[in-house]
Amino acid sequence: MIMKDSERTEYFNEKAIEISKKYKGKIRNLPKIPIHSIDDFSVLYTPGIAAVSKKIHADKDLVFELTGKWNSVAILTDGTRVLGIGNVGPEAAIPVMEGKALLFNYLGGVNAIPIPLNVKNNDEFITAAKAISPFFGGYNLEDIESPRCFFLLEKLQKTMDIPVWHDDQLGTASIILAGVINSLRLVNKKKEDVRIVFNGAGAANIAAIYLFEAAGFNKKNFIAIDSKGIIEPERKDIDALMLNNPWKYKIALDTNQERVKGDVKNAFKGADIIISASKSEPDTIKKDWVKSMNNDSIVFALANPLPEIWPDDAKESGAKIVATGRSDFPNQINNSMVFPGVFRGVLDARSRGVNFGIMVAASYGIADYVKDISYDHIVPSMSDFDLFPEVASIVARKTVESNLARKIDTQAGFYRTASEIISSNRKIYNKLFDK
Amino acid sequence: MVNIRLMEKKDINDVMDELLRLKRLNSEFDFALKVSSGNENEIINRLNKIIDDREDHIILVAEDDNKIVGILISDILFRIYYDPKYEVRIREFYVMPEYRGKDIGKMLINKLRDIAQKKDIKMMTSEFPSLNLIAINFYKNMGFKELIKIYSKIE
Repeated sequence: MIMKDSERTEYFNEKAIEISKKYKGKIRNLPKIPIHSIDDFSVLYTPGIAAVSKKIHADKDLVFELTGKWNSVAILTDGTRVLGIGNVGPEAAIPVMEGKALLFNYLGGVNAIPIPLNVKNNDEFITAAKAISPFFGGYNLEDIESPRCFFLLEKLQKTMDIPVWHDDQLGTASIILAGVINSLRLVNKKKEDVRIVFNGAGAANIAAIYLFEAAGFNKKNFIAIDSKGIIEPERKDIDALMLNNPWKYKIALDTNQERVKGDVKNAFKGADIIISASKSEPDTIKKDWVKSMNNDSIVFALANPLPEIWPDDAKESGAKIVATGRSDFPNQINNSMVFPGVFRGVLDARSRGVNFGIMVAASYGIADYVKDISYDHIVPSMSDFDLFPEVASIVARKTVESNLARKIDTQAGFYRTASEIISSNRKIYNKLFDK
Repeated sequence: MVNIRLMEKKDINDVMDELLRLKRLNSEFDFALKVSSGNENEIINRLNKIIDDREDHIILVAEDDNKIVGILISDILFRIYYDPKYEVRIREFYVMPEYRGKDIGKMLINKLRDIAQKKDIKMMTSEFPSLNLIAINFYKNMGFKELIKIYSKIE
């Protein structure tokens, strides 16, 4: 199995380089307005266009109605944690950001633009991000190292009047929550009672812990584990965490009510759910640890490309439901299920922000979308195209209820808007490539 | 219920653990505060010596249900050139993470003030790493102000 994977990986690698050489970039700007002759520019550009500028000058919110701001998202990165390859810098991050921009557009009809930033520290990042805000209706932070990503997200969410999202945190956390919601429905357990081990304390799992709390899970039943072991308030490095990663420090104080310490395997005993975003190596989670879990255990082994335990091994050890990050096993936990719909929704509502309440609604929307849930089908798949307008309408409506929306509509209205935008965008693809 | 009292011999191991936690915290602020290893015996000897020396030191612990959750170690200093003639200088000050934000630091400082006043000592000072913003805010809130700076250079 490993050999076959590595061959396939090799094939994908070669193909990606070949395509990048051929096309030299994956996205471009295209006109939205028909141009019949050069005379049209008296209206599209000077002198006529000054009248539009005057209108926006008089009422700044009109920028959402008279320009492309409403549908434009900046994909911001400093290139400090690009996919699995690490700190490769903003230039090397561009191919990834272009791919993300394409996904944004293809799945969500969003006009996403890669903005890799050449910045040395948090303050420079914040300054740059704030400075480029006029054209954008939302920001997506991407591939930024932890704990910097927590600081940047928190700071920008507090100070910007558009939604700021960090997909590696919030997108992943939302799809994990959706998968857990359906898993609990299948094994008939309550969110208030379940004991959850979060194995790995990077961007996704830290965000998941806060999101699960917002969704009504009892954080005192959580145990978080990082590379140094079980996180608890008397651990020797706890004060260093307080200074360097206050988000993880707060988790140390608020979770693990029973004060489980020592060997990682202690955390697994009696646990109902494992959410693992840890080392990409199939023996990271031992079969014995899964065996020590509660009945009907749920194992999310999300490391890519290799899960922390193979699904067969987890099931053999008693796991009822297993999810991974891979498309070649059932139950792929993939943040591409989340961000196109979430962004379509906040953009259509011209939202001033996004928060955990909106994310919880999105997760339930994604979970409810799967009508025929089973142990091998807890989340939608990439080909479920009508998932995105569905999530968009739920998100947009929740935005209205949270008093963040600049544009008010019903859920049905938002659904119509979103599916119209996404399907007319799909038609453009068909025309462009003569389908 | 957290109780503040003078340190006793039985507290030595807990106090040492918290002293080492404090020193590791300090090491986060500056390389010159890097904690040396293998010095437990010297710390114990030092603590044993100063516990009994109540003329020159006031050492307090915060105790919750037989568990030491905070420490304060201070020296009484004679000020040859200045008035007032005596000050009590806080050298070590630490509260366990779970007990922060519960006014235990304030209780330790207030207890120190009360004991010092009985000895007719009216001035309190405290030392900590320059970059420790949490300490700066804490002391400012307690009515302290910055007095002396210490500069360092390691050749």
